[in-house]
Amino acid sequence: MTDTISASGPVVPGGPARRRRGVFALPRFLLRRSPFSVLLVAVFVFLAIFGPLLAPHSMTDTNLSAALQSPNGTYWLGTDQLGRDVLSRLLGSVRVAAQAFLIVVLVGGVLGTSLGLLSGGLGGAFDLAISRLVEILQGFPTILVAIVIVALLDPSLTNAMLAVGLAAVPDFARVSRSVAIQLRDREFVLAARGLGASELRILVAEVLPNMAGPLIVIASFDGAQAIMWEAALSFLGMGVQPPSPSFGTMLREAQNYLAIQPWLAVITGITVSAVILGLNLFGDALGDYYNRGSE
Amino acid sequence: MARYLISRLAGAFVTLFCVSALAFFATALAPGNPAAVLLGNRATPERMEAVTRAMGLDKPLPVRYGIWLKETLTGNLGTSNLSFKPVSDLLMAALPATLELTLFSLVTAIVIAVPFGLVLAQGRRKWWSRPLSAIVTLGISVPGFWVGLLLIVAFSLTLKILPSGGFVPMNKNLGGNLRAMVLPTVTLAVYLIPPLVRFVRVTAVSAFNEEYVDTARAKGASPASILFRHVAPNTFIATLTFVGLQLGLLISGAIVVEIIFSIPGIGRLGLNAVLNRDYPVIQGVVLLAATGYVLVNLLIDLLYSAIDPRVRTG
Repeated sequence: MTDTISASGPVVPGGPARRRRGVFALPRFLLRRSPFSVLLVAVFVFLAIFGPLLAPHSMTDTNLSAALQSPNGTYWLGTDQLGRDVLSRLLGSVRVAAQAFLIVVLVGGVLGTSLGLLSGGLGGAFDLAISRLVEILQGFPTILVAIVIVALLDPSLTNAMLAVGLAAVPDFARVSRSVAIQLRDREFVLAARGLGASELRILVAEVLPNMAGPLIVIASFDGAQAIMWEAALSFLGMGVQPPSPSFGTMLREAQNYLAIQPWLAVITGITVSAVILGLNLFGDALGDYYNRGSE
Repeated sequence: MARYLISRLAGAFVTLFCVSALAFFATALAPGNPAAVLLGNRATPERMEAVTRAMGLDKPLPVRYGIWLKETLTGNLGTSNLSFKPVSDLLMAALPATLELTLFSLVTAIVIAVPFGLVLAQGRRKWWSRPLSAIVTLGISVPGFWVGLLLIVAFSLTLKILPSGGFVPMNKNLGGNLRAMVLPTVTLAVYLIPPLVRFVRVTAVSAFNEEYVDTARAKGASPASILFRHVAPNTFIATLTFVGLQLGLLISGAIVVEIIFSIPGIGRLGLNAVLNRDYPVIQGVVLLAATGYVLVNLLIDLLYSAIDPRVRTG
């Protein structure tokens, strides 16, 4: 997914050599390093799970007599052109954003990590072929993949995020390949091989657990990108379909009322930016943690 | 050098072949029989069969791909299911607006981001570098098209000094063309500037740590001379790399910007085709965009080896 913005440079994987740290070392580091991002991500996760339960009004019921209200006592963040509560719809959008995150990280993570693990672990002609493929896919315009998939299937969140997930495959493949190559000849891998473990078993049981850190960093950035793409593709009509709320559908509808009620676009954009910013900063801090470990 | 050239050309060729196959099979496997689309739903089975055979739809897929490839290479991309115009005409009509938008944005982004990145690298130990870097991270996290909506609110609806959309062909009214292009160009540049600033800053900071910079400093070179003679040239290569890496972003961003500002470019053509299942046009748009992507990347690779001899020999 390099055609999307990568929030930091290449992640140098930590590797297993770092000294053991306590269970709370990571949370403590993150809280000290980047409390703001921890707060944003915590709120995001909380609202993704409980948001729809907390919504004060229906997300889809229309009430034309209450249309386009500014924030007030009944509707804390105002109402849209059909009189739907903006706060409730934003809470629904946060849940959709979390779904987008999960689909992209799942598709990109599983496919990309498997490819990278096999390619780095086995080496040879297979590695060459996969590396070349990843190089070609790397940076290929995500939107073209989305256009093909949505044209073949239907516009929906899952299909749109399938395209974004495919675009994320090279990121995961690159990182897992480089870690696999670093670990291929380490003592614990040799020991496992000496004990008669198969190559596949070594990759899954010995190598994979040691690349969790770098993979989580990539997941954080690509997940942020997934939310950006959900907004863009739903805005274009290729993702979530109205009347379901999502950041993209809300911005699409808000565009028609920029002259009358620009607030709709402003509050939706601020919310989606806050979610993405939180994940990007979180990814930066995680990257710092794992890079420090390898020093 | 020849080896490098051949390997790059082969890579570009393989990519284009894969894309063409993808574009073809995506359309061939799409639901709906093109013959039925052409005839409408009142066709007799005999006519359906005749047209199916006339269109070559009864042949096996690989054969159809060969025929299709031959037609495509000679410029025949079929006709739109919606407007019944040749796809190549539609693409040619839409191309100028998209090219203008992407070129303007790219130049704007480079002109703003490269100096900004250099300043951040030069002042990396100053107090103001942290808040400025934070702004860059914020920029990466803000959806570019949302910034476009805010620009419309500010400059079109409130200040009323710039149009909120539309496209005036350059040869009809240059002033009108440029005025209409300001907001779309800025919006698309907003996509590119934050990652480019970051890229330039990282490259420049690592150049500052190189031994040749120490040498220059030891020989008494001024900070300005170090920046412009030793560090800045490295950022040009970085900029070139960046354009290659973010070309996909540029293409994706251009499509969204075209929709916001109602610019009749390739992106709007493609999106309308997707939403109306106009497969020949989808195929044409994907092929054109992917070809542009591959060719520009190839050009960058070649430029790269011209600028940096290490690439050729390495």
